Amino acid sequence: MVQLNRHYDRKDDSDESIAIKVVGIGGAGSNVLDRVMLDGVDSADLVTINTDVQSLTASVAAHKVQLGRTLTRGLGSGGDPELGLAAAEEAVEEIRSVLQGGAVVFVCAGLGGGTGSGAAPFVTRLAKEENALVLVFATLPFSFEGRRRCIQAEEGLARLRAYADAVVCFENDRMAEIALPRMGIHEAFATADLTISQSIRSVAHLLQSPGLLHIGFDGVCKVLKGGDARGLFGFGEAEGENRAHDSLVRALKNPLMNRGELLEEAHHVLVHIRGGTNVTLGEVQIIMEELNRHINDQTQLFMGIGIDLRMENRLSVSILSSLGESIAKPGVAEQPNHKEDLIPGSMMKLMAPVGVVAEERPVSREPVESKEPIAVQPEPPVGPPVWSTPAKSEPKMAPSVQPKKEEAKQEILRFEPVSRGRFEKSEPTIIDGQNLDIPTFLRKNIRVK
Amino acid sequence: MAKDNIFVGLEIGTSKICTVVAEARGDGTLKVIGVGNVPTRGVRKGEIVDFDTAKRCVHDAIADAEEKSDVEISEVYMGITGSHIRSFNNRGVVMLEEGREEIDGQDLEDVRANAREVSLPIDDCILHTIVQHYYVDGQDGVLNPVGLLGKKLEADFHIVYGIRTRIQNAIRCVKELELEPADVIINSFAAAQAVLEKSHKQLGALVIDIGGGTTDFVIYIDGAVKQSGVLAVGGDHITNDISIGLKIPTARAEKLKVEEGDVTLATAFPGETILLKDETGFAGREVEREALNQIIHARLREALQIVKRQIETEQNLHYIGAGVFITGGCSQIRGLQHLASEIFEMPVTMAHALSMAGVTSAFENPHFSTALGLVKYAHLVQTNHPTSSGFFSRAIRKFSGIFRN
Repeated sequence: MVQLNRHYDRKDDSDESIAIKVVGIGGAGSNVLDRVMLDGVDSADLVTINTDVQSLTASVAAHKVQLGRTLTRGLGSGGDPELGLAAAEEAVEEIRSVLQGGAVVFVCAGLGGGTGSGAAPFVTRLAKEENALVLVFATLPFSFEGRRRCIQAEEGLARLRAYADAVVCFENDRMAEIALPRMGIHEAFATADLTISQSIRSVAHLLQSPGLLHIGFDGVCKVLKGGDARGLFGFGEAEGENRAHDSLVRALKNPLMNRGELLEEAHHVLVHIRGGTNVTLGEVQIIMEELNRHINDQTQLFMGIGIDLRMENRLSVSILSSLGESIAKPGVAEQPNHKEDLIPGSMMKLMAPVGVVAEERPVSREPVESKEPIAVQPEPPVGPPVWSTPAKSEPKMAPSVQPKKEEAKQEILRFEPVSRGRFEKSEPTIIDGQNLDIPTFLRKNIRVK
Repeated sequence: MAKDNIFVGLEIGTSKICTVVAEARGDGTLKVIGVGNVPTRGVRKGEIVDFDTAKRCVHDAIADAEEKSDVEISEVYMGITGSHIRSFNNRGVVMLEEGREEIDGQDLEDVRANAREVSLPIDDCILHTIVQHYYVDGQDGVLNPVGLLGKKLEADFHIVYGIRTRIQNAIRCVKELELEPADVIINSFAAAQAVLEKSHKQLGALVIDIGGGTTDFVIYIDGAVKQSGVLAVGGDHITNDISIGLKIPTARAEKLKVEEGDVTLATAFPGETILLKDETGFAGREVEREALNQIIHARLREALQIVKRQIETEQNLHYIGAGVFITGGCSQIRGLQHLASEIFEMPVTMAHALSMAGVTSAFENPHFSTALGLVKYAHLVQTNHPTSSGFFSRAIRKFSGIFRN
């Protein structure tokens, strides 16, 4: 008979648990961080990094780093990414020290402003240099915030993609879908923050909580690293008799998921089901069967089940994936040093500061006028860690250096909105991840004469 | 006229609503005495999306049939479809209590109830529980176990279920017109009743009903339903594809599909065009015949391949001895027989309802297969219920309350 010695001293595995750091950069980032703090996330270090002292003091995070002590003197970066970056560079040692020891670093930033677009890529790179897995949760500005801001956001995003292992992008325009049009603006932004916070928390939970079917660090890396760093995320929680179905439907309803239609393009999909001790096999089966309708046969599915007593009667489903080819792209994660080599000129362009100061808090964002074609100046190389982005992350700007031209073309084709014609308003017919309402000849690329 | 021998089948289809009125005659055959048929609006993919419009269309179809058959309709057998309808096979088991060895009717009920005890999503309800085979003490091949001696009765069932609210939509539509829904039958079963003979079911047959909004299929093996399914792709999709591909309005695309559509590739002369006459709101133009055929071919090939794949996953393809029977409005497209036999690699019959007395034009048109099947089903249930050992009496309707409200 096998007996377990009562006095058997189990090795304390707490030191094996993964150290997680959540970094909020800029006003939008620290708002998200506050939300994460309020919702509670187990044993993760929260760090706020900002140029604006006011916002920094208001933050509830344990660690705070002020950027640009001498450069901006405690004011915001005035919507200027260049200034944001310079401010961050000034505080490089401080940032490094807070990032130290993190195995997984979540970077939250609102792109479009100065600190978010300028400093976030820099912080991401520092985190990468600490050999952490870096996941970026970035929000993109509303389109009504003006062209300029969108361009700044896109540039920031391109850089983030170059350094981060994965970027989960929350487009504010799409986030608006989850909020009702008549909802108060404060509430609407809170909903958006909540979604981001849910994403962060569920990845953190997934990494930390012991699971019945455990998905480890490796699984998350595999799912997020392969793609072109366009993250997909869905989270749903429900209780009651039909909670399995409801939670999955909620997860797929997440604005990032596009009702699960985007899942068919993913090569790796990670599903994590979390619930109390009363999760039944039937429920898992329902979720997985339903989900299988949305993904194609070649997709590698990682399934994890975690039992968490705090969940009681609730059941939650998190879906995590990234779009794009799964062929490992050397250079993004493994060889950070190589990045310094190529500096495509177009990427170095930064907009000069504009008159309108947009604060970091999205609520007070104003549409930025973009009448004047502002002089673009290549950024001077700042010391050895030069800002650069490999060309592949920005196919639009430098198509000539695109190494895999055909594949890139294919990718663009897929993202084109394809018409469903008269079925636009009906429930889509999705089988094996294919939306059958879209004409077959379009989906199969049959050339009709 | 006695109400008992009049059966009315109502199919609320995506393209048309069809009402068939049939009379049971003394010799046990059915005579079709009237067919009401109106084009539908407010139905997509076999399900009602615009309740009031659809209700008006149902009303018109019923009125049309009443006028043609001179019968006042009060009770209808309804066909139902939709992408939410799923099915699976399950086995039920009952043990006879100590001291009793003879299997009785109650045991059949119990074994059915046992098989129905599966965890379905809470919104779903069971539409059909159809027995496939009985086993007494593990011995198979039992046709009717009532009266046999045994300790353990098992039975395999084919269970069809769907989302309750979506089924209720159709039922409510009929109820609001002061009609009584006598039963709800999924379209594929109804179509199979219309086009298959008993020998086909024994040999193994696949019936594919390609309608306006959905493609419904059912497989019979050894005389019992083995698998069924609904694919929410139909003729509407072809029309939509043509409309997008050739950039012509939907109404024109529909006409072009019906008049000129062909699924066979490379039959048109190079550069052969079809002239579309100009109408109000549409400037005439020419379209390439090959392009039209390519679009139709791609869509139908895909739809049939999906059906085939679903059958292959359940490993039923090899048991189909009598071949494939294709029916439904969309089956009239030219060249479909050839395409289907290429895909399924077995003989394909373009089927319409087996002959009945009465309005001949009704059963010679594959459009009406489902509606005719509904009256046949109704007739069989009515005549065999509840004592006979026929297949249909066993398909006892248990609707777990979908008729409520």
